Amino acid sequence: MDNQKSPFTRRSFLKTSLAAAAGAASLPITTYAFTPPQTAKYIRYNVMSEGGKKALQSYTKAIQAMLALKPEHPHNWFRNAFVHLMDCPHGNWWFYVWHRGYIGYFEETIRNLSGDQTFAIPYWDWTVQPEIPQVMFDNVLTPTDKAFEPYTRNLDVFTSFIQPSLKTYWNSLNTAQRGQLNIRGYKTFEDMWNDVTGNGDPGNMAFATTPTARYLSRQNPKLDPATAKDCSPEIIKAGLKPIEYYNANVSLSFTSSKTPSHMTPPGSNTKFSTIEGLPHNKVHNCIGGVGPLGPGPYGNMTNFLSPVDPIFYLHHSNIDRLWDVWTRKQQQAGYPILPPEPDRTTLSIEEFLFYVNGNGQFVGASKAGEYLSTARFGYEYEPGFGDKLLEISKAQKPGKMQVKGTVKGNRATLSVPSAAVKEHLAASATTLVAEVTVPHPTTGSQTREFHVLVGAPEGVTEADPKSPYFAGTVAFFGNMSHAHGTPGDATFAVPLPKAPQAFKGLEATNATVEIRIVAAGGQTQPSLLKSATIRAI
Amino acid sequence: MQMLFSTLFAFALLVQTSSAPGRVVNLVLPRNLNADEGVAVELKLGVLERGNEVRVETISGKLLGVISPYGIRSGNQAGTYTIPVPAEAISNNCVSLRIILDRHSRGKRAPTAQEVRSVKLRITSASSV
Repeated sequence: MDNQKSPFTRRSFLKTSLAAAAGAASLPITTYAFTPPQTAKYIRYNVMSEGGKKALQSYTKAIQAMLALKPEHPHNWFRNAFVHLMDCPHGNWWFYVWHRGYIGYFEETIRNLSGDQTFAIPYWDWTVQPEIPQVMFDNVLTPTDKAFEPYTRNLDVFTSFIQPSLKTYWNSLNTAQRGQLNIRGYKTFEDMWNDVTGNGDPGNMAFATTPTARYLSRQNPKLDPATAKDCSPEIIKAGLKPIEYYNANVSLSFTSSKTPSHMTPPGSNTKFSTIEGLPHNKVHNCIGGVGPLGPGPYGNMTNFLSPVDPIFYLHHSNIDRLWDVWTRKQQQAGYPILPPEPDRTTLSIEEFLFYVNGNGQFVGASKAGEYLSTARFGYEYEPGFGDKLLEISKAQKPGKMQVKGTVKGNRATLSVPSAAVKEHLAASATTLVAEVTVPHPTTGSQTREFHVLVGAPEGVTEADPKSPYFAGTVAFFGNMSHAHGTPGDATFAVPLPKAPQAFKGLEATNATVEIRIVAAGGQTQPSLLKSATIRAI
Repeated sequence: MQMLFSTLFAFALLVQTSSAPGRVVNLVLPRNLNADEGVAVELKLGVLERGNEVRVETISGKLLGVISPYGIRSGNQAGTYTIPVPAEAISNNCVSLRIILDRHSRGKRAPTAQEVRSVKLRITSASSV
């Protein structure tokens, strides 16, 4: 599958998969097919909505059941949190995808243990509501509840309760799991346990006693002003702005650093994307008491046993929702939702080895690529902050403009609204892009590069890149000697020049745009232009 | 499209201190912004004491964002973070920011060069949102 168009929200995932199977992978860009929304099996509601409140009743019931399970059971509440401590990625481009899998399986668990087969984890939209919902201080929805005391009264109690079963689990891990844990810095069980106790550094202590397990309280539920700022519309909007899943320049990247493994601990070379680095981190730390609690110890949310606090899942549901908003924004605007190859494969084949499914079974080796779509767990979100931005953007976007040209020889002629051309020339956010389709060179063909000229005078067969008529060069890479049969067509997207000379009739309602393909560097040129379309993006 | 991906940055031109806690950095954009382009400040942090946070404010005291490292092991550098800069904070292609190390109960102060290792301005691409 190519990197340009691969809608991966569940609404269009199936159709895209079929397109890939049919061979769209060979094309530099695919068609811009519209896929109508489908109905999701589960809805993740805003926690403040009626649907969200109903979901919390099932959530409460299931947490009680998980607390009551023996520590040997993978669904035991604390054992479930240890999956996060042992495996969670932060500061890298698997942050979103790993947490999608983790929450998705957890949701299945809650469904099974509550008996509510409609359950989906609600989200806490902290941009709209910068305080912990009051209901999250009820019963076992707070880790300070007395129901946690038999396990978290103090560290000795917790150790006696959980450590034997964890050691047994540790000893059962396979070579691949051990290899990943080595990367994380957990060469031995004791290395891992040091992060539970803090190993002398109270700030690094993932365990929290029952009364200190959550800093924010029913009487003091508000995110502090600094945290509210990190969750504010302007920060979230900036976080949604990048148009690439990954870019080495983090200001242009939706995700954090590309690292060798999802287990690579964050450090000096880590670059945090805006949404992970600001609202995600700050909400964790604020709830845990970073600031008022000095150097620690903190509540659960500040360290990697954060899933001990039930608010964790509502927080991460919102993070996942923002990924979904970003994905739909990308699709709406015609931007890629995943990195190009070979990065896409690198991202997708990363193995996650520690998940537990809704039946309490270890999932075994699953790949990141399985969790790129919300279709994997069959859910959609009730609209929240960010969805309005999409509506506004859609209404304002002139990007739906699309004109197909008439082709004769190697020349395509198109009639394009002058207003769109002027907007393009004005260096605004709108860019006109020509999609030119040419046949893939056959075996033995020496002509592999073509210049795309726009509005060039008659007789021009070469153009300098500085020419106002020069749009770009399209090139085929590699030989085709391994291919059998007809290699097919390829479509390239080439931005039109920002020079008024390239367009004729700008004073009229419609301007004339003439696109020609010429072989680069004096190569022989067959008649090859098959189609040309101009789109505003 | 290439223009959309272009990224430019400028290092801090001047470092100074004033009576308010924090380090003031004056940054200059390398060119005029195109329509719908934005600006972000990118901070590379070194090792922070547990619980310390980095605040970024305008000179007039408007909070732009707070960096609160999460998941960083003790002794590790905290990584690089990006905070959007609103248009009203840009004047004549210049941005002046105050960088503060917030130690909470132990007060605020200017971060050392080891705690905040670099501050850069970046022009962010246009987008549909």
